[in-house]
Amino acid sequence: MVNLGKTVVNKSVDEINEKIRRGEAVVVTAEEMVEIVREKGPIGAAKEVDVVTTGTFGAMCSSGAWLNFGHSDPPIKMQRVWINDVEAYTGVAAVDAYIGATQLSETKGMEYGGGHVIEDLVRGKEVEVRATAYGTDCYPRTEIEIRVTKDDLNQAVLCNPRNAYQKYTAATNSRSETIYTYMGTLLPRFGNVTYSGAGELSPLNKDPNYETIGIGTRIFLGGAQGYIFWEGTQHNPTKALGTIMTVGNLKKMDARYLRGATIPKYGTSLFVGLGIPIPIINERVAKTAGAGDDEIRTNILDYGVPRRDRPVIREVTYAELKSGKVRIGDRDVPVSPLSSLKRAREIANVLRKWILEKSFFLTEPVERLPTDEVFKPMKQAVAVPFVRDIMTKEVVTARPGDSIASAAKIFAEKGFDHLPIVNDEGKLVGIVTSWDIAVAVATKKKKLFEIMTSRVITAKEDEPVDLVARKLERHGISGLPVVGPSGELKGIITTGDLSKLLRR
Amino acid sequence: MARKILLNYSAERVQEPILATVIKETGLTFNILYAEFTGRGGEILLSIEAPDQEVDKAIELFRKKGVEVREIKRAIHLDRELCIDCGACLSLCPSGALFQDKDNTVMLDEDKCVYCELCVPSCPVKALELSRF
Ligand code: SF4
Ligand code: SF4
Repeated sequence: MVNLGKTVVNKSVDEINEKIRRGEAVVVTAEEMVEIVREKGPIGAAKEVDVVTTGTFGAMCSSGAWLNFGHSDPPIKMQRVWINDVEAYTGVAAVDAYIGATQLSETKGMEYGGGHVIEDLVRGKEVEVRATAYGTDCYPRTEIEIRVTKDDLNQAVLCNPRNAYQKYTAATNSRSETIYTYMGTLLPRFGNVTYSGAGELSPLNKDPNYETIGIGTRIFLGGAQGYIFWEGTQHNPTKALGTIMTVGNLKKMDARYLRGATIPKYGTSLFVGLGIPIPIINERVAKTAGAGDDEIRTNILDYGVPRRDRPVIREVTYAELKSGKVRIGDRDVPVSPLSSLKRAREIANVLRKWILEKSFFLTEPVERLPTDEVFKPMKQAVAVPFVRDIMTKEVVTARPGDSIASAAKIFAEKGFDHLPIVNDEGKLVGIVTSWDIAVAVATKKKKLFEIMTSRVITAKEDEPVDLVARKLERHGISGLPVVGPSGELKGIITTGDLSKLLRR
Repeated sequence: MARKILLNYSAERVQEPILATVIKETGLTFNILYAEFTGRGGEILLSIEAPDQEVDKAIELFRKKGVEVREIKRAIHLDRELCIDCGACLSLCPSGALFQDKDNTVMLDEDKCVYCELCVPSCPVKALELSRF
């Protein structure tokens, strides 16, 4: 296949298929292969084992399905189409549409999305299809509403632009509030860690040189046989973050391996079950196919920092992640896998069974996947400014023990709305707004600490301003104090600062 | 199933060995799911596995000793048919009620649950449900 250097053991895919046909092939799962390589070494393992089966079952947002509805009478050239109120893309020919996993329902929001539509179709449920059109001489109809199941469709093809990340980074959160991300719910102050990927069971990890996995490789996809038809988008093999594009007949798939999902406050997705058989053509492939969880590393990133390049908290092995606890600082932090190890293992076993039953044969790639590609960041015309660039640095502050009357005076003289309260070390301990003062005047309260809000929502200097705008909107407030790493007040950013930016 | 009762102590009662006395007098074993004390008093959530009458007796005793008692009538259910064993709920559960067995099946030990409800919205396939009655 590829020349990566001479090897002692050399088998072709044809020879392996012949063994499968004769019922003599030795097929093991990736977990079993780890043991075999440990015991017999790569050469011994390569001589003994013919195929290693892998599996993964995780939320893969970059998934969707092409559907063809057939022509109505009179015909319609669908301009917009909704399936169970989830919009599908139809900027192609008249009755083709692509339903994407993350598209949300227009009536149910995050409760239901494209991923759920795909699951419902696979389950054989009836879905409601609604389309509108502008009407042409050849396609006069402008509206249609039908109810169909997958059997009524001409084609239903699962077609996923990016699946099966070789491995993925793990996530934690340094902020003082819970955040909701595509890596799940992340508790404040490094309260938990989440990770994705099946480690030693994960398909692309087992052949990171792409010696046997390539264009045309037959795979397990959603419970049926599918294929790899290209490198996945963002394929980044040089960083061990390879991906694949996959395709398969949705009508033959099984909802056990294709499940719609809602990631809390993030959106919808599709859990995809995927497995790749690795033909053990030489000891080099045997070695990578036998890499254990203790050899597969990833980084835990701080998702509390909303930037493209998130800070690395530490490196970790999949073995440690799978143990359920990860050490951060001096604490053992609980871990959540976000993809199912149990079902990943089940997929590797099903794939093995198919091969042993001679209903699944291996393929030689038609073409290799690139191994030298790098993933470029977005070309942005204007860099997003950061809080540091537009915040007000000269801030008038007060102490918790100062009187409300003196604060009222400050507000009246300076004409602003937020008064950060700091302690002797300059650390932020609270905030008082002009509104708080107005309310307090009617009470017997005297000191600022009696009326200040001490759970202050803050911003950091290196946060992008659009994030600040979201925080302001979410909490219905008009300004945020900016604090440094240990809570010291650095400045303040208000809706006024943001609107100045728009005028710039 | 174990019954769960929430004890509310006033500041004056915190000092008294009420829990120990009730344990002695009833001979029951209590599982303390969580306890919190502040200057204003304290809160203890107990899980008790015993015949109903005996639990009722313990509740009576606590009340006599000036402790406010409320029984937590909630139930949490993990639908194994729907669950995909993704584990998203595991690290959110503060009590260890949600856990994974040896083959990575996610399970729920309701006796340990403190009904914080963190897990319910985190489940991507709505396999967790909390009911009040
Ligand atoms: S409600 Fe859920 S997260 Fe909270 S203790 Fe019970 S099982 Fe654990
Ligand atoms: S989050 Fe839901 S589906 Fe995932 S393991 Fe927990 S109960 Fe099961």
